[in-house]
Amino acid sequence: MVQQQSQPNVRRDMDGNPVPELPDLSWMDKTLGWGIKARVEPFGGGMTVDALNVGVYAEVPDHIAFRNRLPRGAYPAPGAGSIGGYYLQDKHEQWADCAGLLYEEGISRRWSTATDVPWETAHDLPGDVELAICQVATELSQHASVETEVVSGWLQNLSPGYHEVKLFLSTATYDAARMFEGYRKRGMLNGGGMMLESPGGMNRTIMETYAGWSQTVLGMWFVRNSLDTTILRYLAVYGPSEADRVLAARLIPDRMRAAAYAADHIRFAISKKPELAIGFQVWLNGVEFSQARDLRDPVLTEALAVIFGGSVAGMDEGMKVVRKMLQDFVKMYLSRCKQANLDRSKSLTSGFQFLLSGMAAPPRPQA
Amino acid sequence: MTTEAKSEKYITTFKQLMEEGRKNGYRLDWLLPRETFGAQINSNAEAGGLLLQDIDRGPFAQIPDWSDNMTGRPRGALVRPNAARVGNYSVRTKADIWLKNASQLYEEAVQRQWSSAVDVPWETMEELPDDIERAECQLATFLTEVEFVAGDVPGKWISETTPDYYEPRMFLISQIMDEARHMDVFRKRAFANGGGLMSQTTNVALSGGAIDSARDFTEMSARLHISGEGLVLSIFRMGERMSYNDAEKAIYRLAASDESRHVAFGVMHLQYLAQTDPQRKEEIHSYLDEIELGLVAGTGGQNPAQRGTPSNAALAILLGGGSDAASIAEGEQIALAVRQRQVKEYVQRVKVAGLGERFENGRANATLAAYVSA
Repeated sequence: MVQQQSQPNVRRDMDGNPVPELPDLSWMDKTLGWGIKARVEPFGGGMTVDALNVGVYAEVPDHIAFRNRLPRGAYPAPGAGSIGGYYLQDKHEQWADCAGLLYEEGISRRWSTATDVPWETAHDLPGDVELAICQVATELSQHASVETEVVSGWLQNLSPGYHEVKLFLSTATYDAARMFEGYRKRGMLNGGGMMLESPGGMNRTIMETYAGWSQTVLGMWFVRNSLDTTILRYLAVYGPSEADRVLAARLIPDRMRAAAYAADHIRFAISKKPELAIGFQVWLNGVEFSQARDLRDPVLTEALAVIFGGSVAGMDEGMKVVRKMLQDFVKMYLSRCKQANLDRSKSLTSGFQFLLSGMAAPPRPQA
Repeated sequence: MTTEAKSEKYITTFKQLMEEGRKNGYRLDWLLPRETFGAQINSNAEAGGLLLQDIDRGPFAQIPDWSDNMTGRPRGALVRPNAARVGNYSVRTKADIWLKNASQLYEEAVQRQWSSAVDVPWETMEELPDDIERAECQLATFLTEVEFVAGDVPGKWISETTPDYYEPRMFLISQIMDEARHMDVFRKRAFANGGGLMSQTTNVALSGGAIDSARDFTEMSARLHISGEGLVLSIFRMGERMSYNDAEKAIYRLAASDESRHVAFGVMHLQYLAQTDPQRKEEIHSYLDEIELGLVAGTGGQNPAQRGTPSNAALAILLGGGSDAASIAEGEQIALAVRQRQVKEYVQRVKVAGLGERFENGRANATLAAYVSA
């Protein structure tokens, strides 16, 4: 409050407020642990976020009682209260032991779609192959766009007390953004642009899981990520130009970090709350149904068949590769489930069993 | 450099291809080129490579003033009539979020990524006097706390914004990444030299909520980018004055580089809004009224130089070189200069944004003038 009455012996600031001779320094003793020295990694890793978990600061509680931005281990201010949000306050709702490590890895693997992809190698492809790449690029770009929306939307719900998770998810959002713009650039490179939007069933399934972060992780990073990563792996081999192969290969480690967090998180959640596994299994039934339905739409698989077969004329050969790719997708998904102690091998829904059989093919209306 | 799109004649070859595929039982109804097909972009590595700001053309470059995209499709993509309306986007009016250079800011952010693990020379840190170390750690605790705000709140708005305005979304994503790194680097500073975390700041915990609570993007951006980040940027720019080793200098220099992009985003967005939707100027001025009250009376909670707070006392100790009365008095004088600089930089930002009339017509908070002229 501005006070203008004159008291000649009292120092005043520019607003007229009295200024004490010395500021309150009682904060200098307010620490839960003093004398902590984090060590730089000995073999070039630098000062990592996990290295900060020393002494009292290494305690990661099962529940964060505050719904504000108290840094974990800081001296709580009395009366700080709640600022809203941050309602996921339990460790099992978000934690993964590897989150800090994945964050540092995400930071260390810096790359740019602008300069690290040899775009000049992707000109003058056959028209049908170019359009097929543009269609795949449209769908991958949209998948990534949805992912950025979903992960960034969750950030303000996840407690800052588990800052390693928040840090990792920041890199995950950034990675997804890079996939979005990388494939938009690829689509635009030769004017093909963005073609037909993706079917949207899985987009809906992923976006309509705001009730639980773990459920979001299952849909987005167990199922959708397995599909996208498998497509990228095949594009890294069958991509029609060096640029296509490099772009896909560059994106794979980004995708795999998200997958590693996902498996570790679900495994941790189940280890703390074994009963969660039942609900996760039921949830995955619905996700599998949604993904299988999207894959019954032929656009993505036809485009991939043109790429893998080298032309429209080579689509039959290309479709054999697509079937193998879809088998690999389900195998990757099952592997992730197994890593997370969420075995799906005996409960796989019929649509995914069909994909796993290697018999899957898009509908052929005239066949 | 780009080439021209292919002619209509070329398109007939796709129809023939489609027919060929259909004979084999494929649908191929997606295999029709868009109007820009064949217009190549030749990326130039010396000019920064294939940049986001250079790629869109034709329908893909048409940014609608109002977006009806409810399915989350990439801008310019063809619509599937059966796609679910999953995009519950509250930001669907261009003026509400747009700025002219979001793509450039995003690409710059990508190029200027850095690592707090290896790009800060932590090995240069030597033991500091106890009061200096505690002041460093208090300031680091404050900064790690406020950086959560600047990461989490933009996250909410990304998910609220239609992908038709993907450029500002991309920039905000880069900001989330930057803020994660800031939160991380100041936490690391607290532990790097034999200290630890200190006290949470009560008014940050409470007042920080004002940014969270904003129900309009521009209101949020004014509070976050113009006010909160602008104030912190001024502090970072003074980092040389309060650093005791090369590691701290590097932290402030790198963080300031990021922070200046975030402030630029806010300024350029306000400028766009002021130019394209002048009806909202009075509303924006009312947000600036609140911001200026925060600047002079410390109601914002985002300013480490705010009087009466642990972070301000820590600044005085760091700037003055100790916690004895004489050092603190000297530090407070320098801190006053910091606050002057904060105010001057704020005034300049508002002028660049096209809202400088408030400094001519008497609307601006009167105490600001005292700071500027002191």
